[in-house]
Amino acid sequence: MKNSKVRYSYLPQQFKKIDHILKRVKKVIQSGDFTLGKELGIFEKKFANLIGTKYAVGVNSGTDAIKLSLAAIGIKKGDEVITAANTFVATVGGICELGAKPVFVDVLENYCMDADLIEAKITKKTKAILPVHFTGYTPNMSKIMSLSKKYKIPVIEDACQGILSSFNKKNSGTWGITGCFSLHPLKNLNVWSDGGVITTNNKKIYNRLRLLRNHGLINRDEFIITGYNSRLDTIQAAVGNCLIKDVKKLTNQRILNAKFYDKEFKKVKELKIPKREKNNRNVFHLYVIFAKKRNQLLKYCLEKGIECKIHYPKELYLQKGLKFLNHKRGDFPVTDWQCKNIISFPVDQYLSKKQLSYVTKTVINFYNK
Amino acid sequence: MQIPFVNLKKQSELEKNIIIKSVKKVLKKSSFILGDDNRILEKKIEKYTKAKYCALLNSGTDALTLALHVVGVKKGDEVITCSNSFIASAAAIVHLGAKPIFIDVKDDQNMDPKLIEKKITKKTKAIMPVHLTGRVCDMTPIIRIAKKYNLKIVEDAAQSFGSKYKEKFSGTFGDIGCISLHPLKNFNGVGDGGLILTNSKKYYERIVSLRNHGIKDRNFVDEFGYVSRYDSLKAAILINRFRSLKKIINNRRKNAKLYQKLLNTKKIFIPVETKNEFNTYHTFVIQVENREKLIDYLKRKKISTAIHYPIPIHMQKAYKRINNFKVYLPKTMAQSKRILSLPINDYLSKREIIYISKNINKFYN
Repeated sequence: MKNSKVRYSYLPQQFKKIDHILKRVKKVIQSGDFTLGKELGIFEKKFANLIGTKYAVGVNSGTDAIKLSLAAIGIKKGDEVITAANTFVATVGGICELGAKPVFVDVLENYCMDADLIEAKITKKTKAILPVHFTGYTPNMSKIMSLSKKYKIPVIEDACQGILSSFNKKNSGTWGITGCFSLHPLKNLNVWSDGGVITTNNKKIYNRLRLLRNHGLINRDEFIITGYNSRLDTIQAAVGNCLIKDVKKLTNQRILNAKFYDKEFKKVKELKIPKREKNNRNVFHLYVIFAKKRNQLLKYCLEKGIECKIHYPKELYLQKGLKFLNHKRGDFPVTDWQCKNIISFPVDQYLSKKQLSYVTKTVINFYNK
Repeated sequence: MQIPFVNLKKQSELEKNIIIKSVKKVLKKSSFILGDDNRILEKKIEKYTKAKYCALLNSGTDALTLALHVVGVKKGDEVITCSNSFIASAAAIVHLGAKPIFIDVKDDQNMDPKLIEKKITKKTKAIMPVHLTGRVCDMTPIIRIAKKYNLKIVEDAAQSFGSKYKEKFSGTFGDIGCISLHPLKNFNGVGDGGLILTNSKKYYERIVSLRNHGIKDRNFVDEFGYVSRYDSLKAAILINRFRSLKKIINNRRKNAKLYQKLLNTKKIFIPVETKNEFNTYHTFVIQVENREKLIDYLKRKKISTAIHYPIPIHMQKAYKRINNFKVYLPKTMAQSKRILSLPINDYLSKREIIYISKNINKFYN
């Protein structure tokens, strides 16, 4: 959108000054060390430190992070994986690719899986629980982990949107057997291409993940399992190494921006803000609230140059690709309701005070018309 | 004289400024995934190979997986291929739940078409010829057999971008051709990469959807897919490198010719380039006796060599885990002990090739 007053993508701003990154990229180019190079090892250490796990493994995307994690714990055809009904296609794509069946549970007001609904869905075939840290919120991981213990079912966290988010002061990506992160250009920590990282404290899983991402090779000529090709490019790791030091700061800025929105939007009775719980640190990958007359509001904002979005307008469980699960509308009432009422406002670290108040004023004007 | 097997450093050194320029251009647009540059490169490759459609992907491995997926290979199916390839060929088949059925090769290391028919069963879904070393397989009989038994052909053309057979480009014979853009390939990106070639609109459109989560537009999913996109950044760099592709291929062919002229073929076997072939020499492989001793000898002369590949796929642990009966591939096994890849990269000088050849001849005298 040209002349957009509050654009959604901030990438041109983020990468206005890039000489320091180019310098580092140039070094990689000169070394010719393009796959599994030195910069990747450095990045993995930094990332593990940032999240607070022993290990991190760079892979080709957040989707692959989920797929490889599931493969590493041995998920196969016929297994069931419990996940949230409202997530992005990738979560489910990873499950389906391995021939397993996604089993959905409905979500809470904070868009995350309702931990109290999990137990009813556990069967003999359940081989993993895959909570999704949607929008930057974290589901109730304490409850999920105690279920995991009780039934001996491993947890894999889809933390693609949840870098530095936490529940009870414990970071996303440190609860489950693995945590899956995305470095997609629109994520809080981003690189210049697709990218993903898996965090884990389990050495066995770590070693297996390193095999799985590189054809299962133990050396140049021998492979012991059939793996995939899913490596984070050395060049992108170099980009990540430059950007990772900004993550804490930009996360704080996003939280501040969200606070500003919250304060203003609270005054509007047609808007509903999900409860902001103290023990749930939302990092606002997305700022999503519920709005009456949502579609008109969206249209109005777009006309006024505010690039709002809907994450996501079509219920995942009703998509054609999941027809084989035979779900019908109404199976997940909270997800259904949210689909019709959610709206996302730009919340990134590059928004100015002026832009933020332009957003809130425009929304207030809409309801005062 | 020190002769490395590959020389990526030299290439990077020569191209670093133009690479950084491309990077800057992409950053200005800030469209990192499935951007304009991707389509520009795809179009260039379509024009060059005369394939109707090209789709860039994250790796050659992914190209094989997606190609087999869309031609309909699924659990229980069998795919006929060769064992002397890189593991990715077989892994792609295994990941779709199908079984690789290995057949033996000819003296030139490529699939022996005469052995295909014996291995065809009711479960056979596709043939996957591997164009090893930059040489296209003997495609005429392979296509004839595929037609007769109604089998799909997915070409593993990972090592043979730009190679030809009877004047037709590698990757354009079968239903889908799969090419790798890995840094060690002739046409190489600055990270993992791959692509498919096809003349089928149906296959093309499905792969384009599958590489991007299977989403139709941002909000609708008809079929669950993968994330296998080529980055705009690497595409922009390859658009520049595309200009030098002809030169790269010519240099490699020139190097190969020189080796063929200089090496003592009484002691060393070099598969000839037949008149049907136009080989691009991703690797230059000779077949020799006393290979390990020769490697040591050359190492002492500071000449690096490699073996592609010392352990055939059917001898790997991962394969034995899924298959408990013996596979009998005498030629593949014999070659695995005799093959040796000599440096052939396009930065090699005439003097260096003379030096390598002389030393090899000397070893066998």
